[in-house]
Amino acid sequence: MDFTFTQEQLQLRKEIHDFYMNELPEVFSGYVTPLSEELQSFWMGLQKKAGERGYLTPGWPKEYGGLGLGSIAQGIVNEEEGTWHIRWPNAIGLRLAGPATLLFGSEEQKSKFIPPMARGEVVWFECFTEPDAGSDESNIQTRAVKDGDDYILNGQKIYITGAYKPDFLYTLARTADSTPKHRGLSLFIFPADTPGVTIRPLPCMGGYTANEIFFDNVRVSKECLVGEENRGFYYAMGTFEYERSNTAGAAAAKRELQEFVQFCKVEKRNGKPLIEDPQVRRALAKMAVEVEVWRLAAWRTAWRFGERERLGPLDYDLTGFFTKRFGTSHPKLMMDILGLYGQLRQGSKWAKLAGCIERKWQGARSLHAAGTIEIYKIVLAGRGLGLPRVPVKLNTLIMQALEESK
Amino acid sequence: MDFSLSEEQEMLKTMARDFLEKECPESLVREMERDDKGYSPELWRKIADLGWLGLIYPEKYGGTGGNILDLVVLYEEMGRAMLPSPHLSTVVLCGLAILTAGSDEQKADLLPKIVDGDLILHWP
Repeated sequence: MDFTFTQEQLQLRKEIHDFYMNELPEVFSGYVTPLSEELQSFWMGLQKKAGERGYLTPGWPKEYGGLGLGSIAQGIVNEEEGTWHIRWPNAIGLRLAGPATLLFGSEEQKSKFIPPMARGEVVWFECFTEPDAGSDESNIQTRAVKDGDDYILNGQKIYITGAYKPDFLYTLARTADSTPKHRGLSLFIFPADTPGVTIRPLPCMGGYTANEIFFDNVRVSKECLVGEENRGFYYAMGTFEYERSNTAGAAAAKRELQEFVQFCKVEKRNGKPLIEDPQVRRALAKMAVEVEVWRLAAWRTAWRFGERERLGPLDYDLTGFFTKRFGTSHPKLMMDILGLYGQLRQGSKWAKLAGCIERKWQGARSLHAAGTIEIYKIVLAGRGLGLPRVPVKLNTLIMQALEESK
Repeated sequence: MDFSLSEEQEMLKTMARDFLEKECPESLVREMERDDKGYSPELWRKIADLGWLGLIYPEKYGGTGGNILDLVVLYEEMGRAMLPSPHLSTVVLCGLAILTAGSDEQKADLLPKIVDGDLILHWP
């Protein structure tokens, strides 16, 4: 057991740290939303610049544009991205779809798709969620029907994250009416400008952008199919594992807490600095402990990813659980400490910390992405502790029981 | 970065688990709750023979020169079995204080006795 980094890894961290220090504007807040056109081109430019240096994906194999440094190096990079509030236009591709394609894609797909991604040149969207298939991914209705050497896709996706114009769509669609439902899904990668694709942005509260995407007789070749037909659900779950091994969230929380502690040392209430208030001190100490626990869980997952490729549910779900739990409770504690000032937004001359806590608090509402904390508990209970499954129709049963008791 | 246990630590863990499952059943734990001493001197002797009392002391005091992580492996197993013993006060609290701050005479006198199981210390 060893919680330290090698010299090479420390060197990589320093290089990347210095790179962001130099490249990011002096007065910089990663919370700046919505993304203006100017900001969009800034991030796109920085993504390419980082890509040229190999800073996006040093953990990936060399033959696909990485530096071949493994999962710990990748964890370091992700941590730095969290620390600096980096918002890559292709975050979805770089951190989810890309690594999953490396795992499940064909040799042709890997050599075609992965190097441009490592260079920071492309943007991918992950088209999974549908109006009737959110946490219940197996209920996907978008259809891909075989037609000669092609597939023809029809259907609708919703809440697809991304403020940029995508180059590729990483899409889950139904290829069979199977029982159980999840054995009839397949995964495709195809260009976003394929005829029949319509992308409609959905501006969200808090300045985030999601999209509605419509497929109207979208014809894609069979080379777009990832892995085997009807195995898409498993590839999708594999994709999510990467989401849960990311060290960025805890690193971002750590930096935010450091800044908040600094703020509490200076900011006064009733003539005294906030940190002299025992309630404030207790809240800060609580957050500091939780951030470290979160960070360790994320690192353990990142480490196991390198060692075993696949994780046990208690590994990755812990990190995800903490992301949901502390990602919500910490902004709340900070809001409590700020009092009424906490409600002021960026732009108000009385707003504290440029209104970033208010935005974090709003942003915490979107932490349901990739599954709510309730879903995580269900998964932990089932797969982690081996408890029996909750009946799918539990809600219906409860409603019935309530009706009968009247 | 490495979250795994070394081969030696895995061995220690397995050995400790097997030993404690056999030697420290729940009945013993319950019995010791009503015991005047609160621990079993016979079991303490066996633990000394296994080298658990000298795990983190240098060889010149009769120990095996392990580190705190080795001890953590052992403690997880002792916790799992709810082993009633004065290990913490003797080896860790008092023993490590002697090792860290004791004079050469104190160390040479006391530590080998701890390792052999002949000296039980209490941290008041």
